[in-house]
Parts: sequence; C-alpha cells; structure tokens
Amino acid sequence: MAESDLTPFAQPEKSRAIAHGAILRRLSPLATVLVLILIWHWITDWRLVSRILIPPPADVLDSLAAALADGTLAKHSTTTLGEMMWGLLFGVSIGLAIGYAIAKAPLLEYILSPIIVAFQSTPIVAYAPLLIIIFGTGPSSKVVTTAVIVFFPTLVNTIVGIRGVSPRLRDLMLSLNAGRWQIFRNLELPSALPVILAGLKTSTTLAVIGAVVGEFVGSGSGLGVLVISARSQYDTPLVYVTVFTMTAIALSLYSLVALLEWRVLLWQRRSA
Amino acid sequence: MLNLIRIIALFALLSAAISSAQAPLVEERILLTFVPNVQFAPFYVGIEEGFFADAGFDVTLEHLQEPEVLDLVAVGQANFGIVSGEQVILARSRGRDVTYIFEWFQQYPVALVHSDALELSDLEQLRGLKVGIPGRFGASYSGLTTLLSSAGLTETDIEIKEIGFNAAEVLCLGAVDAAMVYANNEPLQIRNLAAAGDCGEISDVEVVTVASQVDLVSNGLIVFRNLLDAAPESAARMAFAFKAALQSAINNPASAYLASLKYVDTLPSDESLVAELEAAAERQSEFLASNPDRAAVAESRAEMLQLLTTQIDAGVLTQFQVLLNTIGLWDADQLGVSDLASWEAMRDTLGLMGFLGDDLGDLSDAFSNEYVLDSGE
Repeated sequence: MAESDLTPFAQPEKSRAIAHGAILRRLSPLATVLVLILIWHWITDWRLVSRILIPPPADVLDSLAAALADGTLAKHSTTTLGEMMWGLLFGVSIGLAIGYAIAKAPLLEYILSPIIVAFQSTPIVAYAPLLIIIFGTGPSSKVVTTAVIVFFPTLVNTIVGIRGVSPRLRDLMLSLNAGRWQIFRNLELPSALPVILAGLKTSTTLAVIGAVVGEFVGSGSGLGVLVISARSQYDTPLVYVTVFTMTAIALSLYSLVALLEWRVLLWQRRSA
Repeated sequence: MLNLIRIIALFALLSAAISSAQAPLVEERILLTFVPNVQFAPFYVGIEEGFFADAGFDVTLEHLQEPEVLDLVAVGQANFGIVSGEQVILARSRGRDVTYIFEWFQQYPVALVHSDALELSDLEQLRGLKVGIPGRFGASYSGLTTLLSSAGLTETDIEIKEIGFNAAEVLCLGAVDAAMVYANNEPLQIRNLAAAGDCGEISDVEVVTVASQVDLVSNGLIVFRNLLDAAPESAARMAFAFKAALQSAINNPASAYLASLKYVDTLPSDESLVAELEAAAERQSEFLASNPDRAAVAESRAEMLQLLTTQIDAGVLTQFQVLLNTIGLWDADQLGVSDLASWEAMRDTLGLMGFLGDDLGDLSDAFSNEYVLDSGE
C-alpha cells in the first residue's frame, strides 16, 4: 500500500506505534534488570547454588536497607567518590595537557611513550602497594591510583582527537591570521571534543577501579574497605550491596558525562 | 564409652586404609591462603616425602584469600583448607558449617613490633601512639584488639593507621610508632633493613607477641562437614598425614627448605646454599635416628642455623630463618591439638571487635581434636 493510500486515522496510529516503540526501548534496560533479578531469585530459591555463595535478592535488599539506615554505605561511598573525583581531576587534566602536547609535537611521543606505555601495561594492582608507601596511607595514595588509571584513556583520546582535526580547516584559519588560542578554541577543541569525551566516559568507569584498588591495599574507609570488611565477616549480602553501589556510582558518572556530551555536542547534531 | 568405640572403629579404618597402599590415590585439593611460601613447608614435605600419598591422597595445593578458602570448603568445592580459628568462628556465626580438626600453628603468629628506642616496658604505654595494621580485619586486627584488651586499652586510646601489608616500609619511614606484623617474618626483615642502615632512625626492634599475652586459637586444617559425616576416616587420614609432614618439617628444616624449592619460585636456591642444606639435612637425619627429645631437636635447629650462618651470606639465609622462626610457632608436645580456652579467648576477642553481635557463636561444633588424636596418639 502506498503512503498516499493511508486513511486519515492511519497517521495517529503510526505515531502511537512509534511512541510505544520509544517507551519500550527506554524500559528495556529496566526490564533486563528485572528479569536478571527474577532469575537470581529462582536460582537461590531452588538452591541451585549455595546461598553462601549467592544470597537471595531479598537478603541483599535487607542488607542495603540496614547499610543505608546506619550510614555505613553513605560514609564509605563518600570516601570513594571523593577519591574518584580528585583522581579524575588530576588524571584527566594531566592526560589532556600531555595528550595535547604530544599531538602537537610528535617528538614528545617518542620521548614519553616508553614510560607511558610501561605504566599502562603494568596492572595497577601490582604497583599500588608502592604508591601507598610513596604517597602515604591517607587518601592521597588512592587519588594517585585513580589519577594513574584515568590518565591513559584521556591521553590517547586527546592525541587522536587533536590529530584528527582537518588540516584544510587549520590552513584556512591560518590563512585568516588566526592565533594559536583562536585555532585551539574555535577549531581544535570543538573538533576533538567528541573523541575526548568518549575518553572521559571510559575514564569515569575506570576511576572506580583506581580508587577501590587503592583502598584494597590499605585504607580505613571507602567501598574497597567495606568489601574486605564484609568479606572477612562472611557478610555476603553486604559484599553484593557494596559491589552494586560501585556499579551504580560508575553508571551515574558515565551517564553524567554522556549528558554533558549530549549538551556540549548539540551544535554538532544540529549541523549534521 | 561411645567415644571409645568410635575411636577404635576409626583407628581400624585408618589402619586398613594405610595398609591398602596399593589402592589408587584419591585426588584432594588443599586450599591454602597467601601465596606459595616457605611457611607452607609442611605441605610441600607432605607431597615430596610421600606422607599424603601414604595416606591415600594425591594432593594439589591452591592459594586463595582466607574467606574464599572457608566458603569453598563450606560448600564442598574442596574438602580441606587452612584458615585461622577466628575465621571459623566468624564463618560459623554466618551459617558456614565447617569443622576445624587440626591446629597447625600452636602459637598465634601475630605480634606488635616497634623501635627499641621507644622503650615500651608496658603495653599501657601504647596510649596515644600511632599503630599500623593492614586493615580492620583479619588476624592482625584481632591480635591488636587482644593486646590492647590485655593492657586495659581500647582502639580509641591509640591512633590506628591502615597501612596494608607494608609494615616494614611504613615503620622505617617513621609514619607509625608501632605496627602489627607476623612475628616469624617481618621483624626479621625490619632488622635486616636496620642492619643495612635502610630503616630510618631505627637500629633494632622489639617484638611483643600476642601469644605472650593471651593464647588465641590460630591457623589450622578445616574440613567439609559432609565429609566428616560420610567418611570420617578420610579426615583422620588427612590429619595423620599432615601431622607426620609437620613433624618432619619441624625435625628437619633443611630438608623442608629443600622440598619447598620446587613450589616457591622466589626462594633463594644458590648452588652453595643447596649443597650446604643437603649436607645439613643428612646430618640432621642421622641425629634424628637417635630419637632425640623435643628440646634436643630444637637445640639442633639452632646449631644448624649457627653453622649455616658461618657458611652462607645472611641475606641468602633470610628465608631459612623465616622457616625456623615459623617452626617455633608450630612446635608443641601434642601437634594438632587445640584447647577450648584458646577458642573462647578468640570468641571473646571477636566479641570485643563487635563482629559477632549479640550472638557470640557456639563453639561446640567448631573444632574437634578427635581426628588428630585418632590419627596417631
């Protein structure tokens, strides 16, 4: 049937179908989570796996309620969030600065890449104890582990983003006597931003790992400490609560950056 | 009477099992904590010298974190594991049904170490000082709580610093006044650093062991509950084999060190060290043939170290010294036996730490000496 053959009532029906489709798409992640929780419930209810290893969802919910009520979760989450934020601030800033410098001066890449690659290719958990010794047992060592882990994706994406700027547009700006700052602000930054923000999304999820690894090695507070503490007391539901909290923090930060990306790159979508 | 019948039945089963040497070996995983280390020498001796095979087991060793060891044994993914007594109490209070059948470490291995310049004549003097612990969990935390309690102090009287397993470095840097450590290892490492002038202002350290204040139950062999119900003779044979391997390691540390070389990649194994240890092991075997008593064997170990010190560089000998120090924590008149008082002391400590809540746990099923006594006493 041709489009012109549609009755006057067909158009609203099509709109409704599109609207339903959009709602379903939005609800699908929630539905996936609900299905997973149901499967989890059945696994524990039918005792397919020992409850020692996988506690029932209801026990985890009870544990969550208790940890929220007595402030345990808030206290440890705040510590980890603080370490993550400072680590992101330092790691991303340094990654952006060095990434930009390398993108502009390829010689720097030859000089710095062995050190950067060596750092990146060594699991942070292997040298985290050394960072604790060097930077002390307080929060600073956790900020450093976070900064180290978020540095690399920022660096690589900055290099790729800046190097991806069209040479023809750069030449055009130079021919118009644009200064360095003007080229950076009006050409390089907007062009590289999608790639840099993609790196930032990766960095935010890695920041949780950096902070928690630092806390595992030695700390008095934080979600890493809460996991060890709950594990050492055989409080498996609390271990699950803590792990889900880490996931929630990582997802929230990721969503925040995605929102930022959506806002900042509005112009790009409009021009497209 | 029932106990006597049970002991006789078990002993008969055990004898039958041992005599049937031709039977195929049963594969058993023993879950250990930490990483391969000379401190696990009795297990290496058990495998290399055939104690486990003689008892009918083909043993493989795996290293995990302590809670994972306990959980896997609790659900029967492994029949045997090594954990500390405190973990058994904690885990049982959370529904894990495991039984502790052999106390490996007769003395609690944790200690407080501090610079000798601090001149602590009484633990009460810890008040206001910074004390480093790996974290608020595990044996170090329990040990510190016990030490503080024995001096009438609580956590609030000192400043606790969570330093991870970096006590030597952090103490040498002066970031803490004292630290909780494993008595057999870290004090030796710190003394070596101090002797080399690499430990800041510290020239020597003092060690206050938890065992000197209170007898707490320590590391031992746990068993899957269903195995105890279905095949108690199997648990008794494992206890018997481990006891024999442990006694062998205690009696001949040179031989135990040599057995460990295959399992611990980082153990020094210079040609000269191995040659001297082989000679020492042979001399010790000859000495043991004269059936010396426990004190004489202890003396022979000290003489062995003294002789080796004149032949081998001190740095190369460090791990051997760690083994000797650890043997001091294992050795006892009755290997494997734990007493109720040490379990109660540990339960009280966990209560002080607030880990057990109102329910301090029932100790009646937590441990049993039946299997170790059946296995050879």
